Amino acid sequence: MVAKVKVATAWLDCCSGCHMSFLDLDEALVDLAQAIELTATPVTDIKEFTPVDLGIIEGAVSNEHDEEVAKDLRANCKILMVWGDCACFGGICAMRNLFSIEEVLDRYYHTESSVGDRIPSSEDLPPLTKVRPVNQVVKVDCYVPGCPPSAKAIHYALAELLEERIPIIPSEIMRFD
Amino acid sequence: MKEITLTVNDKQLSGKEGSTVLEICQANGIDVPTLCHLDGLSDVGACRMCVVEIEGERKPVPSCTYPARDGLVVKTDTERLEKYRRQILELMFAERNHFCMFCEQSGDCELQKLAYRYQMDNVRYPYQFPSQTMDALSDYLVIEHNRCVLCGRCVRVCSEIAANYALDFSGRGVKTLVSADLAQPVSESTCTTCGACVQACPTGAIFSKLSLYRGITDECQRITTVCPGCAVGCQLDVLVKDNNIVRIEAPELSGIKGPLCKEGRFELLRETRPRLTSPLVRGKQGELEECGWDRAMEIIAGKVNGSKDSFAGMISSRLPNETLSIFNRFINEAVGSGLLDTLDGDICRVISEGIKRFQNNGNGLAIECPIEEILDADCILIVGADPKNTNPIIGNLVQRARRQKGAKLIVVDPSRNVFPLWTDLWLKPKAGSEGALLAGLGKALVDKGLLILEKAGTELIQSLKKYDMVKVCSETGIDKGRLEMAAEMYGQAAHGVIIYGEGLLNSEDPSLITCILNLAALTGNVEGESLRVISLKPGANSRGAWELGLAKRGVERNGLKGLYLLLGDDQVNDGLIDRLKGIGFLVVQASYQSPVTAMADVVLPSPIWAEREGKYVSMDGNELEIRRALKPREGMLQDQEILVKLSKKLGRELITS
Repeated sequence: MVAKVKVATAWLDCCSGCHMSFLDLDEALVDLAQAIELTATPVTDIKEFTPVDLGIIEGAVSNEHDEEVAKDLRANCKILMVWGDCACFGGICAMRNLFSIEEVLDRYYHTESSVGDRIPSSEDLPPLTKVRPVNQVVKVDCYVPGCPPSAKAIHYALAELLEERIPIIPSEIMRFD
Repeated sequence: MKEITLTVNDKQLSGKEGSTVLEICQANGIDVPTLCHLDGLSDVGACRMCVVEIEGERKPVPSCTYPARDGLVVKTDTERLEKYRRQILELMFAERNHFCMFCEQSGDCELQKLAYRYQMDNVRYPYQFPSQTMDALSDYLVIEHNRCVLCGRCVRVCSEIAANYALDFSGRGVKTLVSADLAQPVSESTCTTCGACVQACPTGAIFSKLSLYRGITDECQRITTVCPGCAVGCQLDVLVKDNNIVRIEAPELSGIKGPLCKEGRFELLRETRPRLTSPLVRGKQGELEECGWDRAMEIIAGKVNGSKDSFAGMISSRLPNETLSIFNRFINEAVGSGLLDTLDGDICRVISEGIKRFQNNGNGLAIECPIEEILDADCILIVGADPKNTNPIIGNLVQRARRQKGAKLIVVDPSRNVFPLWTDLWLKPKAGSEGALLAGLGKALVDKGLLILEKAGTELIQSLKKYDMVKVCSETGIDKGRLEMAAEMYGQAAHGVIIYGEGLLNSEDPSLITCILNLAALTGNVEGESLRVISLKPGANSRGAWELGLAKRGVERNGLKGLYLLLGDDQVNDGLIDRLKGIGFLVVQASYQSPVTAMADVVLPSPIWAEREGKYVSMDGNELEIRRALKPREGMLQDQEILVKLSKKLGRELITS
């Protein structure tokens, strides 16, 4: 039996929709399970990365923690793929870049808040940064845009990678919405 | 034009000198990507998507602005060009705030399609996230600067096609914005809301509020029909999804009727009048109650049978020829009274009489010229008409002729200057003195020797010569100098067009129309059998109704025992309500509830414009096909079907084939 390809995934600033779309692979997941082994992922709820062949990131880099996770996974994987518009372009998360961080926090915790009237602060809470696509923080090898990407696009990308080709999503199945 | 040959992607292509490289590529089926180019607009090379390599050029050049020459060797699809195009797209995405996942234009966006084509799965440049505003104050359209790529298609369509010059660029560099007038909200600017910019915009930067999230083009069926809004007869592409209209656009944006207008593009989608869905009759309490078709028709038939000779019919000239014809036969054959008129019959008769009196003309409206003549005019005389409001496309053609071709524009109107920004000369006669003014104009033309006298009857010349200019000036309140100036402008024009409308027609004086025709004829503004004169008729199919002879005579209200009003989806005004007061038995066949249906004894539901088919005749005599865009609801009958069934109840078969 050929050794399974080790995969780790992470979600940064996102809605987890891309991982849900991955689960939409349905019966294709059965075949995929023969070929890959999931290590640290939100699905397995393992948080610490070990060296893997393929790292996958969903979500934009929106705070210092996101940046650290992205760098950690990059250091632990041979190929880094990103899923979704947030990771590829900044996406919905990046819309907050149109305002200052102070404005955003004020709006969330003062104007719209239903849980008190205080901006939380703790040394455990990572400070917000400008929202960036992943490729502005670490080197990215391949991209699957979409909000979320279709299961078809995710499947295409994984299949290509298993064939040891770097995928570029074909125009026909590429979507930004 | 000289034939030229060039080599594109190793293939020999021929084309005409004077074309651009892009035009020749497109004509030969070579797919060069474009964004700022739009057929029918001038090319500016703003977006650089259409760059090509040309032998001898040091760098890629935009093909949309590159004049084709004999012997050019062009490449449109090299790897280098693909790289550049993708880079340009990345820069466009990084420059402003494009969020496809929540944009209503997603799926219909040319920028997005290009990004897919060039497999733009990431952007290598830092996003700028500029803080852009959005103008959403208009009830019709939104300008969302976040999604603008500054291609300028809206600016060019607004000036070159809509001839309104409301949109332009303000600011410089990355701060450039598409702005209306001096950066006003578009709803407070000189924008006429024709919506040409909405159709021209390749992204979601200018979009219609009325079509938001209703569906994308690929999900829609496209039906080409004719606008019921006015007599110009613009073709509309109605995009329909699940029997709902998603949006309306022009089949050919750069065509003569291309820009459409607020009425055709937007108002048809903003209908709020409550729809009639079932026949209604007066119940015992005097309230209108729903009933079946059969019962409603029996009640009508009973009343008609009791008062055949004094039962009249009135019909809206917004209805197609087929409905008009059946209605004609219904009143003449089934009812038998022959008492028949259209809602705009009075106006039609004024025009008709005025034309008949002109040299005993028997050709009717064929004496008028096609509206295209306006574009070729070097002088336009507008008498008692407000085309920008009543027939916006005519207003648009006038502005194009004035601004783009330098035509002189004279407005004759007692109360206001209908083209305030464009008029060269506004003659403001005292109310009711238009006749004196027109005669005075004739007199001034005679005095200046600008009339072709051999064509005029001696009688007319003599009467004009005797005309007293001093009297004209005191009657009209216009000084002699201005009248003479108008006479010179119009008299010296090689291609003078006169447009007259409501203001003149409401005077009910046909001699004014005869006078206008005389002015055109005697200044040589003759084109074959017709004169360069255009009358703005009130209804979408006024000319059709006229040609079918529905408005020959008026209907005298006194002694009427009953009246059948076929209103369709036409508007109701106070004048109509007054005319219907005191009629013994009123049948109203209409699409919507209105004060008029509230007055009726029997109400029959009628289809709306999008549910009808048939033919219109435009104001300048073109027969236009109306196609059904929406399926009528269950239980509804077409207007003709109703009349045929009702005739049967009256003992008359109207079905021919």
